[in-house]
Amino acid sequence: MDQSVAIQETLEREENCKIAVQCDVLFDDIAESRLLGLVESAEEHAIFIYTHRRMAITADDVSLEDVIPICLDFAVVEVSSPEELAVVGGDTRVRVSYQEEELELRLPFGSHSRLFLGEVNRAWSDVCKSPAQVPKFEWINKYHKGTRGQGVVKQALTPLSTTLNKLSQHRKTEKSSDKKGTSEREKGSNSGTQKSRLPSSPESQGISSREDRDDLVRSSSHTPSNKAQILAMPQFGLRDNLIRCELLKNEDLYTYLEDFSFFLGTYNVNGQPPKESLSPWLSHTPNPPDMYCVGFQELDLSKEAFFFNDTPKEMEWTKAVTEALHPDAKYALVKLVRLVGIMLIFYVKKEHAEFISDVEAETVGTGIMGRMGNKGAVAIRFRFHNSDICVVNSHLAAHIEEYERRNQDYKDICSRLQFRPLDFTQPPLTIMKHDVILWIGDLNYRISDLDADNVKELISKKEFETLHSYDQLKRQIDEEAVFVGFVEGEIDFQPTYKYDTGSDLWDTSEKCRVPAWCDRILWRGKNIKQQHYQSHMALKTSDHKPVSSLLVAGIKRINTEAYKKTFEEIVRNIDKMENECIPSVTLAKQEFHFKDVKYMQHQAATLSLFNDGQVPCQFEFIQKPNESTYCKPWLTANPPKGFIAQGGSVEIELEVFVNRSTAPDLNSGKEQIEDILVLHLERGKDYFIPVTGNYLPSCYGTSIHSLCHMREPIQDMPQETLRKLVEMSVKENAANTEKPLDIPKELWMMVDHLFRNAIKQEDIFQQPGLRSEFADIRDCLDTGMPDSLPGSNHSVAEALLLFLDALPEPVVPFSFYQQCLESCSNASQCEKTISMLPQCHQNVFNYLAAFLRELLKNSAVNRLDVNILATIFASLLLRSPTKQDLAEKRKTQEFFQHFLTQGST
Amino acid sequence: MAKQYDVLFRLLLLGDSGVGKTCLLCRFTDNEFHPSHISTIGVDFKMKTLVIDGIKVRIQIWDTAGQERYQTITKQYYRRAQGIFLVYDITSERSFQHIMKWASDVDEYAPDKVQKILVGNKSDEVDKRQVATEQGVKLAKAYGMDFFETSAFTNHNITETFTRLAEQVLAANKKDLDLLRMSINDEINLAALEEEEGLLCDGAAGDQGKGCWC
Repeated sequence: MDQSVAIQETLEREENCKIAVQCDVLFDDIAESRLLGLVESAEEHAIFIYTHRRMAITADDVSLEDVIPICLDFAVVEVSSPEELAVVGGDTRVRVSYQEEELELRLPFGSHSRLFLGEVNRAWSDVCKSPAQVPKFEWINKYHKGTRGQGVVKQALTPLSTTLNKLSQHRKTEKSSDKKGTSEREKGSNSGTQKSRLPSSPESQGISSREDRDDLVRSSSHTPSNKAQILAMPQFGLRDNLIRCELLKNEDLYTYLEDFSFFLGTYNVNGQPPKESLSPWLSHTPNPPDMYCVGFQELDLSKEAFFFNDTPKEMEWTKAVTEALHPDAKYALVKLVRLVGIMLIFYVKKEHAEFISDVEAETVGTGIMGRMGNKGAVAIRFRFHNSDICVVNSHLAAHIEEYERRNQDYKDICSRLQFRPLDFTQPPLTIMKHDVILWIGDLNYRISDLDADNVKELISKKEFETLHSYDQLKRQIDEEAVFVGFVEGEIDFQPTYKYDTGSDLWDTSEKCRVPAWCDRILWRGKNIKQQHYQSHMALKTSDHKPVSSLLVAGIKRINTEAYKKTFEEIVRNIDKMENECIPSVTLAKQEFHFKDVKYMQHQAATLSLFNDGQVPCQFEFIQKPNESTYCKPWLTANPPKGFIAQGGSVEIELEVFVNRSTAPDLNSGKEQIEDILVLHLERGKDYFIPVTGNYLPSCYGTSIHSLCHMREPIQDMPQETLRKLVEMSVKENAANTEKPLDIPKELWMMVDHLFRNAIKQEDIFQQPGLRSEFADIRDCLDTGMPDSLPGSNHSVAEALLLFLDALPEPVVPFSFYQQCLESCSNASQCEKTISMLPQCHQNVFNYLAAFLRELLKNSAVNRLDVNILATIFASLLLRSPTKQDLAEKRKTQEFFQHFLTQGST
Repeated sequence: MAKQYDVLFRLLLLGDSGVGKTCLLCRFTDNEFHPSHISTIGVDFKMKTLVIDGIKVRIQIWDTAGQERYQTITKQYYRRAQGIFLVYDITSERSFQHIMKWASDVDEYAPDKVQKILVGNKSDEVDKRQVATEQGVKLAKAYGMDFFETSAFTNHNITETFTRLAEQVLAANKKDLDLLRMSINDEINLAALEEEEGLLCDGAAGDQGKGCWC
């Protein structure tokens, strides 16, 4: 029976009793029954504590005793005493604390209690999520005033305990105070009480209690963790990267080296147009090279070129180069890149073109302001077969004393020149990331510490080796100040700078420059050999002489077969890894069987999940198609979803509980205790968990009609007969083989028992019975026909109420409900309505009314009156097929009162 | 250089309990064989990557519980499959008879375009054979399916069977694939790759929610 309905009736419209639970409040050795309601208003929550009589049905049955706001100072902690080991099926003991108040509660075993605690926790964790928003709980104030007088309960309100809370003490003192105190009290509730009640600021909160809460929140709520999802999620981009990495790592397995020749040429043309054939420079090798990388500097010294990066010289020089390439082969121009006067052209022999890919070009200016393009570098990168190659043509800072500036230019180029990555997930590609780097250009390093005449003399004697030791570049490389890791071949040609244009004469201008090896070719990478390194004196267009070099480089070629094998192996391994990362759990038990399931009797079993996978996992019971919930209504799994760390385990409680809504079909055999749970792991497998059991039919949840046709206890009836009885009641006209009983014998046994034993029982129908005694009474009714029933009078009385409550069709059938409401003010109309009920229902109604009238004759002793009985029984006998409002409820009571007073008139 | 792209397919193993569905899967993905029979109670899956016509095809193979009591539940997994293996045991006439029932369930619950292949497993157990190869061939012909006799134990025809069904699924979805390939340009192809999930499984977006049958 949902007792939150009774609580709801006491609340304001905007307040909502989310869930209610009956529990025992523990004080030393005494336990008293209370009803707890979790009440919500404007997203604030409070626990309302009510005293109550028996199972609360209406507002009259409950009386508010205390309100505990759920704020930061609130805590619920599960208590387990050492002697009471946690047993499945045991009661739950919790300690509720609020500020300095403490309350120990014993909640009945079962999912309903768990649900209640879960809701309370959720409310509390909502508060904790936004500690800045201190809840005000203004809506509670009105209850603080009212708690005292409102109770309908006739017995004196028992104070819960002295340790329970200061508030109840406060209230006690209030109670003892006379009317004079009213104003004070009101003041108190507005100022004093309110102050103590209102949640204090977060910082006043004790650390220990916060930890307690966190623990509880952790254990009770199943926090869905994104982490698990992320870890278990196959990231497809990641997958591709993994394959790429593995392929790179195992490159040796599927590649072999093949030599290719690279012709490198660099020429500072001093702004001159091409005036002579470049053949002596570009095609002097006996065999045509596989690649040409030709670089120019000072292609155009005009302002237009500088400011607009536009020059007709690009075309002119490109044409001159193209015409001068080796005549014995065909070449394709793959890429040209230019920054002001720095140009690089890349040609490839036609037959190699198809193996060139991922071509990119970039430029970096290091000139004026460190940015402009009068100095700097251009570069082209490409992939040839399986090798990544980068060619750089640079023009570094001029002037003999500026060698450190040149070093800096080199560093700037290395760091600032970045190619677009092949894959956007990769970082940009820098020069140094390439397998082969070819660096050419007017690097502008000079010969220092010697005067021009000395230098010229050494040159004329061809004492180049002596001169090398004065070469700034060689010195800087030796000091590892620049071009670290680069190699330069032996220079045995005379310096290429500076000549009088059109001649082979050294600079005769007044500056009379010291000759220098400005124009250089360097490389970095494995398996590279230099075939030649030379200057070309024949060309006289510029004040520089062009330089060339032929390098033979070992390029990685792919062995298709081996590549396929390696690739497949890598993919296989990654698949394996991925399969191992699919979430997985082991179930301690695959199948569950519940034996002898009875009406209103919990049975529970534990499903243990162990995460034996390699990742954390998230589990959830999922719905089967065409079903609205993940399991049958008589079954619950707690928790129904959650998270298990790798190697961790979780215990899920499977509970079977048959209540009045599920009992009818189980009694008749239309439904069985049979279900298959589908446990789903996020991004993983699904497990099927069959749940079976046998249900012992009960008179609880069986129709009056069926019971009237049972002369034997229900559990002695064959299943077939039970099923037929239900079918029979559908088509009423079926020929009855046997005259039915006037009223169900079970009802008679209970009423007769009460009539004989409890007619003078004080507070009969007002005090709750005992759960264990109810179970005995139920078993007794379902299995035999004893002379008397077990248990106390209160328990039998409650068993009777539960019986009426469990009837699938109430005593006054749903179809008559409306008629009853309409006739409620007229006694004879009421009687007439009852006379139209099906015979067995009519019998039951009259029988109960007669019994209640008997009870009322003893009202002096049993303290019952017409009002109380009408309230209790009207709600059981006249149930609305839909939702009942308060006005209707009053009408049903009015209706039934006629029958309680009948005898006296 | 053409950018590789992935395709994801879901293949489903169906057939009576004990015909060797789990063993076929283990042999194919892990190249392992475990002779003891542990009933699959639920739905399990494994991933495998194949390269077919230069296309990287990732297949997700679902292994289902064969026991009759679970069939109402397992049927709900059919609709997400692009390919289905109907597996029987050549040493069990009964499991072969049941192929008809499995096939009709597939017709009812799987998508129309689903590709099917008939598999007679345990071909190594020659002495216990109850279903002749010709019977399998005949049945497959009647249904218009390809047919393989396999042995997870000896690794006979395993890769062939899985590859064949994957090829069929690829062919059946060729139109969609070609459209996709055409719509891919340099800028977006990587993004499309990331959304591999969305490829070829209609309504995949809606299936990401909780309680889904994936």
